[in-house]
Amino acid sequence: MSDTARSSSRLPRLPAVPMAILVGVLLGGLLVLVSGGNPFTAYLAIVTGSLSWSSLPNTLNWAVPLVGMTLVAAIPLRGGMINLGGDGQMVVGGLVAALVPLYLPGPGWLLILCAILAAMIAAGLYATLAAWGETRHGIPMLISSLLLSYPAIGFASYVVGFPLRDTTTGLAQTPMVPEAARLPVLSGPLNAGILIMAAVAVLVVLYDRFTVGGYELRMRGLNARFAGYGGVPLARQMTAVMFASGAIAGLVGALIVLGSQFRYQDGALLSPGYTWSGLMAALLAGGEPLAAILAGAFFAALQTGGFAMQRETAIPRVLTMVMQAIIILFLAIRHGIGRQGGAR
Amino acid sequence: MPGSDAPVGAVLEARGIVKRFGSLLANDHIDLAVTRGEVHAVMGENGAGKSTLMSILYGMQQPDAGEILLAGRAVHYRSALDAIAEGMGMVHQAFKLFNSLAVWENVVYGMEPRKGGLIDRRAAIDRVAELAARYQLAVDPSATVGKLSVGVRQRVEILKALYREAQILILDEPTAVLTPQERDGLFDVIRHLAADGRTILFVTHKLHEVMTVTDRVTVLRDGRVVEKMVTAETSPREIIRAMTGRAVNLTVDKTPAAPGAPVLVAEALTVLSEHGRPVVDRATLAIRSGEIVGIAGVAGNGQTELIEALTGLRKPDGGRVAIAGIDVTGADVDGHRVAGLAYIPEDRAVTGTARAASATDNLAMGFHRHPPLARRRLLDRGVMAERARAMIARFGIRIASEKTAVGTLSGGNLQKVVVARELSHRAALLIAEQPTRGVDVGAIEFIHAELVAERDRGAAVLLVSAELTEILALADRILVMYEGRILAEVPAAEATEERLGLLMAGRLQEAA
Repeated sequence: MSDTARSSSRLPRLPAVPMAILVGVLLGGLLVLVSGGNPFTAYLAIVTGSLSWSSLPNTLNWAVPLVGMTLVAAIPLRGGMINLGGDGQMVVGGLVAALVPLYLPGPGWLLILCAILAAMIAAGLYATLAAWGETRHGIPMLISSLLLSYPAIGFASYVVGFPLRDTTTGLAQTPMVPEAARLPVLSGPLNAGILIMAAVAVLVVLYDRFTVGGYELRMRGLNARFAGYGGVPLARQMTAVMFASGAIAGLVGALIVLGSQFRYQDGALLSPGYTWSGLMAALLAGGEPLAAILAGAFFAALQTGGFAMQRETAIPRVLTMVMQAIIILFLAIRHGIGRQGGAR
Repeated sequence: MPGSDAPVGAVLEARGIVKRFGSLLANDHIDLAVTRGEVHAVMGENGAGKSTLMSILYGMQQPDAGEILLAGRAVHYRSALDAIAEGMGMVHQAFKLFNSLAVWENVVYGMEPRKGGLIDRRAAIDRVAELAARYQLAVDPSATVGKLSVGVRQRVEILKALYREAQILILDEPTAVLTPQERDGLFDVIRHLAADGRTILFVTHKLHEVMTVTDRVTVLRDGRVVEKMVTAETSPREIIRAMTGRAVNLTVDKTPAAPGAPVLVAEALTVLSEHGRPVVDRATLAIRSGEIVGIAGVAGNGQTELIEALTGLRKPDGGRVAIAGIDVTGADVDGHRVAGLAYIPEDRAVTGTARAASATDNLAMGFHRHPPLARRRLLDRGVMAERARAMIARFGIRIASEKTAVGTLSGGNLQKVVVARELSHRAALLIAEQPTRGVDVGAIEFIHAELVAERDRGAAVLLVSAELTEILALADRILVMYEGRILAEVPAAEATEERLGLLMAGRLQEAA
């Protein structure tokens, strides 16, 4: 009957989010001040470096994979499941997306379509391995999804390091995909990938709100026993959700390869840590897709601004990571307190 | 009536307690006084304010007005820790135990006896054993809690409170989860504690328990104290009248059954435990349309597993199940539901609802895949809300709106959500498991009438209940389960409490 019990079911209460950001900004500024910098120049550099007209394409380009990986984490989380295997699934998608246009003949647009679809299907199927392990053999998906990343990353590393390596360079990477099979450029670094990702994001939000499957996933997240008792086929649902989650991770890999890097290069997809930033954004939103997308976009702006600040001032971009961590910690603390008060 | 009939030397006294949740006045100037060595029942329908009052007395919530006095001294609790320090103890309905730890570890947790910076294991075990022996709480201090039965776990909870030297012990519906034998054991423990000078506040719905074990009764209704009675001078009818404001008909009006074709058929249904022992042993039964069949049995004789196998929650290890002529052996719950199953589960909070979800979402479950709620996999939110409002009105569910989360509802209202949803299926088969457990008298009457109406509509109703009186009042035929087998079938006309009791104990010859 207490009010706290009701509001703690959703992660951030509305005033909590601006509050957490404010605390992050204040503590981050303090940190800059203590280390001898000027917090105002630092924040000005972050804001102009992420949101000004000239830097917006950069931010959006960074947001495409980050928001994508946010959805990868948020979809299972909505149903109380956790997919930690985004890295492996993204690598599978990226590798497949690089190999399809390299070894398949055909016009460019068809290669793009085939590459993206093949990447999504391959990564989706790879993700369902973890679901299959849990539904058939009781292997917790939390662990198996994470562990399955390592063979995928290792295998991709071997493939581009030896049999399919671009022998003209000294690096472990595939040859460049043909020009025709690259995503069209919109503005500066920004390519058509953002349109695809935006469409996927809208679909996920609509699915969550208006479909039977979205309702069933939400109910499972609130009480899996209740969903099963109500006739939701839990095992089939877990498999489907993991396929969708993995397919989006595969899409992220494909968009980076076809839109920015034009080849699969060992380690290049993973070094920015999209999977983990996305996971944090999804956790912050409690799996609610629209909030997760906003959180992912915010982190993208913060991280892009960090790069700009590092270029413009003497302050390292680690500051933005610190702020990100403070915001999450602060929200987690508030949530923890709210929960305690709501427990009866 | 502040302090009008408060006994002299009350060990605990609450004066004018007020607690408000939004627009709901949960406690409206409640006065309560208990003396040392007294067993005091706090009764009332669901939503009468019992749980709120108890959580205030135990420091989990702070009153908006009023005061609490311990032996005449005003106390202010900031949390339950303050209350525990003042000698309060509480056994919640849902136990708060570490299942993987030993009994003694659970009991001493947070107040461990120490020796040289380490936990003094020997002293702890001895102290727990001594306490258990003193109050005849048969518990092995070294046993792992997860392996104990519900009744024994409850004793561990009581030991926890006693170890913290609780003088006043609140038991919140302690018998809801117990078998009749465990219940009698608990009553012995309560009598020992009272004889030792401890005070027991006993929150319950069950009249015969109040009559058996308590000294005085305080009855709450709509957040107010409506009556204070001495148990020996009152009667169950008087208590019911005080709780509900009317005399309740405990027997059910129903015409003789007119059974039709079999709806639920199970043949040689077998469920094995994880150790390979049959917990349901070749059970064969047929439930026909237009009849209520009750399953009687002491808890733990396979009823739970039988229902799991009949509803698709668990795959049977042998045998066959058919609903309305469709073979559903091995199908999941949805397969059973499509064939014609509606199911009121044993535990409304764990299985029957999602607490954080709205009434609309809770009431849609099971209907959400088919028109009019869904068309081509798209939900019609408007129809969902409209149907939820209709069910709330028809079943008298007391909830602010259909958008409110059901976790805020009292037990009886939450059960009405489950009953409303499952009955609205108008399914060929209704399986009702403990449909009135922990529900107030008014709601019991309502649910019983609805179950009979389902039968008269032509549904086959399978009723599982721990309450023999409920089975005797409702069932047209009674199956008795004993050690996983269906031991006997008794027509309602020939069933008596004595005969069923013998059958439930496995004494087939004597019962014949």
